[in-house]
Amino acid sequence: MATLAERRSLEPWQDPKAVPYLRIDRITKKFGDVYAVDDVSLEIFQGEFFSLLGSSGCGKSTLLRMLAGLEYPSSGRIYIDGVDVTDVPAYSRPVNMMFQSYALFPHMSVEQNIEFGLKQDRMSRRERGERVGEMLELLKITELRKRRPDQLSGGQRQRVALARSLAKHPKLLLLDEPLGALDKRLRENTQFELVNLQERLGITFVTVTHDQEEAMTMSTRIAVMDAGQIMQVDTPTAIYEFPTCRLVAEFIGSINLFEGKVVATEGDEVVVETRVGRPMRMRSFHPMVLGTPVTVAVRPEKMRLCADFREDGVNQLKGRVEDIAYLGDVSIYRIRVGDGALVEMTLTNVQPRTEQALTWEQEVAIEWSPTSGVVLTE
Amino acid sequence: MPAPPPNQSRQAHRTSRLVNIGIPYLWLGLFFLLPFVIVLQISVAEPALAQPPYTALWQWIDEGLLRIEINLRNFMLVGQDDLYLSALLNSLQVAFICTLLCLLLGYPMAYAIATAPERWRIILLMLIVLPFWTSFLIRVYAWIGILKSNGLLNDLLIWSGLIDTPLAILHTNTAIYIGVVYSYLPFMILPLYANLTRLDLSLLEAAADLGCRPMRAFLRVTLPLSMAGIVAGSMLVFIPVVGEFVIPDLLGGPGSLMIGKLLWTEFFSNKDWPLASALAILLLALLVVPFVMMQRLQQRMEGSRP
Repeated sequence: MATLAERRSLEPWQDPKAVPYLRIDRITKKFGDVYAVDDVSLEIFQGEFFSLLGSSGCGKSTLLRMLAGLEYPSSGRIYIDGVDVTDVPAYSRPVNMMFQSYALFPHMSVEQNIEFGLKQDRMSRRERGERVGEMLELLKITELRKRRPDQLSGGQRQRVALARSLAKHPKLLLLDEPLGALDKRLRENTQFELVNLQERLGITFVTVTHDQEEAMTMSTRIAVMDAGQIMQVDTPTAIYEFPTCRLVAEFIGSINLFEGKVVATEGDEVVVETRVGRPMRMRSFHPMVLGTPVTVAVRPEKMRLCADFREDGVNQLKGRVEDIAYLGDVSIYRIRVGDGALVEMTLTNVQPRTEQALTWEQEVAIEWSPTSGVVLTE
Repeated sequence: MPAPPPNQSRQAHRTSRLVNIGIPYLWLGLFFLLPFVIVLQISVAEPALAQPPYTALWQWIDEGLLRIEINLRNFMLVGQDDLYLSALLNSLQVAFICTLLCLLLGYPMAYAIATAPERWRIILLMLIVLPFWTSFLIRVYAWIGILKSNGLLNDLLIWSGLIDTPLAILHTNTAIYIGVVYSYLPFMILPLYANLTRLDLSLLEAAADLGCRPMRAFLRVTLPLSMAGIVAGSMLVFIPVVGEFVIPDLLGGPGSLMIGKLLWTEFFSNKDWPLASALAILLLALLVVPFVMMQRLQQRMEGSRP
């Protein structure tokens, strides 16, 4: 068990005394009549790998660009290390950004690209050379240093862009879809590399991504955004296991949602009446008023086959297997239950496929425990 | 893999390719190489009171005896007489200064159009091209009315009290500069605009993000990346201006002799076709060298672009 102090150094957001490195205070950005970012506040701590996650057009990139100084907010303030940088132009901010398109200078070699920012700082020639060498080595691109961007592959460009944005040793690095342009395999490898790099250098990373898997793998915390607003800020685990609203629940992974209303409360559990069958009994973190319209949300992998189905059993459903998607490691089963709703269940393929018990059109009973889902009120 | 085409269709393919490549060469041969050879031939002839007014290159003297006369005196005369050299130098100087002025004026304009909102660009481009709808000659004549001592400009300056006596602008090199820059500015702006609209604005954002102020970002990023446009625009202005005839003739004075006007005089006033041809050949040779050099430079610049 980690002590409280250890836990707090790993999760500074849990510590009420911790001072955020980056503070976004009620930022709003309007383009004409459209709110691209709508009253967003965030506190991000030193050494975090923070992800802004959302579908395209949710305002995550605009927020990132405001942190870089490439856009100015319509209202609200941005503080970096306690200093109000809201009106500071991009070229004077102590942050660097890795662009989605990489934005490498096509008329300069890899070396010159990395050196570009250092030259602006009037660093001595010798120091610049050392720093460029350090960056080339860090990203293992030393042999590419004389090449021009058009002579590089996508993966190599990504590394050069990263090297260039790290060259000035920023304390805060902004990454706009850092892995977006890479193919799947390269992306997975680079994810781990990026996290290692971030931990080694101790830099605070703020990334923008639309890829939930990417955000889950890399981040210390994730902010899920929609329509310019932040829906939930939490650790990847909490976002996945305990979403606070339907939107977040549906955006991350797949989930079964059962609409209904609260008919009874017993201790920290609520009983919810839904359309699919008998009342469901779920744990709730908040006290609930009887009659409240709620949604019971259960992830497919939290479902299991039920050996002793009883007509009055808790959280049990009966149905017929309609679809099977075999993914190798797991299979996804779509089961048509009582009122015609489809319930998704994932089972690990412990046995080879040919020996699997479940097949199409089979009658099955499934169940889940009261602690393996959440009750959402919005 | 598709099956290789049968012989016949391959033959047809080759023929059509030959035709495709052949047409531009035929065009060049017919309308550039052939006239050039004719001019070259005239340049080594002697003037004569005949029709055409020069001696033939070859002559049958006797049975089986062919006399070919190559007269290099025209070229020597051009080298000996200061008039031609000074006219040439003056032309180069005027062309150089005008190109520079066009660049200094045209670059900001092209940049402004390229960065203007989409719906404005087409209108602004129209405004650049609009003067072409009036005859070039009429537009140059109009400048006489503006620049002459009791013209619009002087009237305006005197009326506003800036000067007491009219400025002598017409029939000076200044008038030529004004006329040339006015006439040739679109040729500078259009290639620059085409180049600058291709500029990836995220590069400027990246430069700013790396601590580069806007002015420096312009010098380190925008300017080098627009070099191809600068070279193209400069060539489009410089080369025709060296041989420009109408503007110096109408706006220039006796002190501003340019090679184009000299050519005209030799051809039509002095009827010395061979000398005029020699001048034209020399001028061409003089322009081809920088042209090839610039072409090389441009290719290198283009090569570094993605």
